[in-house]
Amino acid sequence: MTTAALGTLTPALKAPDIAASSIDEGHRTVSMPFGRALIRLAETRPEIVGMSADLAKYTDIHVFAERFPDRFYQMGMSEQLMATAAGGLAKEGFIPFATTYATFASRRCYDFMSQAVAEQHASVKLIGGLPGLTTGYGPSHQATDDIAIFRAMPNLTIIDPCDACEIEQMVPAIADHPGPVYARILRGNVASVLDEYGYRFEIGKSALLRGGNDVLIVSTGFMTMRALDAARDLKADGIDVAVLHVPTIKPLDEMGILREVRRGGRLIVTAENHSIVGGLGDAVASLIGRSGLATELRQIALPDRFLDAGTLPVLQERYGITRSAMCESIRRWL
Amino acid sequence: MTEEAHLHNSGLAERAHRVRRNALIMAETQGQGYIAQALGVADVLSVAYFHAMKVRPEQPDWEERDRFLLSVGHYGIAHYAVLAEAGYFPEEELTTYAADDSRLPMSGMTSYTPGAEMSGGSIGLGLPMAVGMGLGLKRKGSKSFIYTLMGDGELAEGPTWEAAISAANYGLDNIIALVDFNQVQADGPSMKVMNTEPVSAKFEAFGFFVQRVDGNDLPKLVAAFDRAREHPGPQPRIIICDTRMGSGVDFLEGREKSHFIRLNPEDWARAHAALDARRAQ
Ligand SMILES: Cc1ncc(C[n+]2csc(CCOP(=O)(O)OP(=O)(O)O)c2C)c(N)n1
Ligand SMILES: [Mg+2]
Repeated sequence: MTTAALGTLTPALKAPDIAASSIDEGHRTVSMPFGRALIRLAETRPEIVGMSADLAKYTDIHVFAERFPDRFYQMGMSEQLMATAAGGLAKEGFIPFATTYATFASRRCYDFMSQAVAEQHASVKLIGGLPGLTTGYGPSHQATDDIAIFRAMPNLTIIDPCDACEIEQMVPAIADHPGPVYARILRGNVASVLDEYGYRFEIGKSALLRGGNDVLIVSTGFMTMRALDAARDLKADGIDVAVLHVPTIKPLDEMGILREVRRGGRLIVTAENHSIVGGLGDAVASLIGRSGLATELRQIALPDRFLDAGTLPVLQERYGITRSAMCESIRRWL
Repeated sequence: MTEEAHLHNSGLAERAHRVRRNALIMAETQGQGYIAQALGVADVLSVAYFHAMKVRPEQPDWEERDRFLLSVGHYGIAHYAVLAEAGYFPEEELTTYAADDSRLPMSGMTSYTPGAEMSGGSIGLGLPMAVGMGLGLKRKGSKSFIYTLMGDGELAEGPTWEAAISAANYGLDNIIALVDFNQVQADGPSMKVMNTEPVSAKFEAFGFFVQRVDGNDLPKLVAAFDRAREHPGPQPRIIICDTRMGSGVDFLEGREKSHFIRLNPEDWARAHAALDARRAQ
């Protein structure tokens, strides 16, 4: 934390709505893709129910609650209860989609998810809003470690979707998946970029969105959107960048990733909206190590520390996850 | 009421007015925020800091101080308003609220702000932390109290009740818990989101010395804080304060969707004017 000189600051930027999504300029947006996709699915699937721990409005599941009031359970601010009760609903044959912020879903619910859900193969879909650094509110709401925390949980599928296009496809896919899932989502007006690539989401599958001969970015979450934008910027400097999108962190698409990494002759960079500890970068590094490849790997990720509170654009720049910061890092590493 | 008590209460009224004004200044710099909570809880915090608590603002870590744990981190705006009025930091700093590199982040954290004793934000930690500090203070032979401010929505958190059991088990009569019962939480009216009533009966059953008061009535608050400190039983104490969101600014009182409020630029001047008009009455 840095301490200001007393009384000399006037905020240049307003602290954004604490539940705002990260949208970069120039992208089409879709309103509430998660909530709307859940409604569409639930129309024909009576076993789907919704839950929230006093954050329905802030995770877009409130629209589901309005459409299906008797299929929505408001649990109050009781995340541990929500996770465990979701396990109970699943045991009775329902498929609960349970929402809170990603920090509380992971840090507070871990033991409950482990024993009441994952160990029992309960078909609970735990949905975390405010993934990674998507709020300037401070460490209590910055989910920099949710993926690291959950990667250690057996049976659990972990998804970090990129955009609205992917969230819409993910909702029915995880409902059909017969076990527990954790997904971290963007809410509100969410950018939609993958439709331009004719993208099809499949659990456990990576997707090469763009080929390139100088750099391979292996990215997840909205960092894929930024990787695609950065690739365009770097092209102008004559740097040819490939982007491999990896929305499923667990189970990891080892074949798909190794196929691209083995091509050789490229700088390998992972990019994620998550701590440098325990996320996609670590997963790819250990995969490469286990495969006997001697490949250098660079990571674009948040630092291993409690991040500052402040305004979102400033913080994302400070911690190197903006499009321009990505370009700068890659130029430096080449 | 004695003359002396009346003067004291009118001094508190002036303090509470200035606390509300400070909160409006902060909310205005952001154009939005948890202003309705800050206005609603201003009387409770004013009585805590300017009547009940033993503190030295110029020496925030004074060993003999009463502790204050802000469990509801998003009430940072309310806490900073009272800390500035008490002199923990200069008033000019209020306009840095929630800005980059400010000492006043949107959610209260001990590492940032003089006088902030815990890092909240993740709700439900205040009473559990008070249990540990209560045990620690007793172990040191200290006479200090630990106050913790909780929200009514926070009563649904499991750790709150684990702590309640423990506080009574250990006879932690140095804990004075405060609940801002403002009938609002993130998704709407608290008792519709999750009905936690009857709250007094629950805490009584858990072994607390319970009082429930109008949290916007200064003389009643003063009496409740006095009783909480002087109660002879070896029990933890709790004051459930029924407050009005937006109290002091008429057009914010009773407003729907008041958990996080956004106002047009011109409405902040209106809010200040409404507050001043209330004081003149
Ligand atoms: C553990 C946890 N869960 C959820 C939240 C998000 N959240 C912040 S304030 C709030 C509502 C809390 O209700 P209450 O304590 O009554 O506060 P009020 O709405 O009156 O400000 C919620 C759910 C949080 N900060 N911490
Ligand atoms: Mg409340």
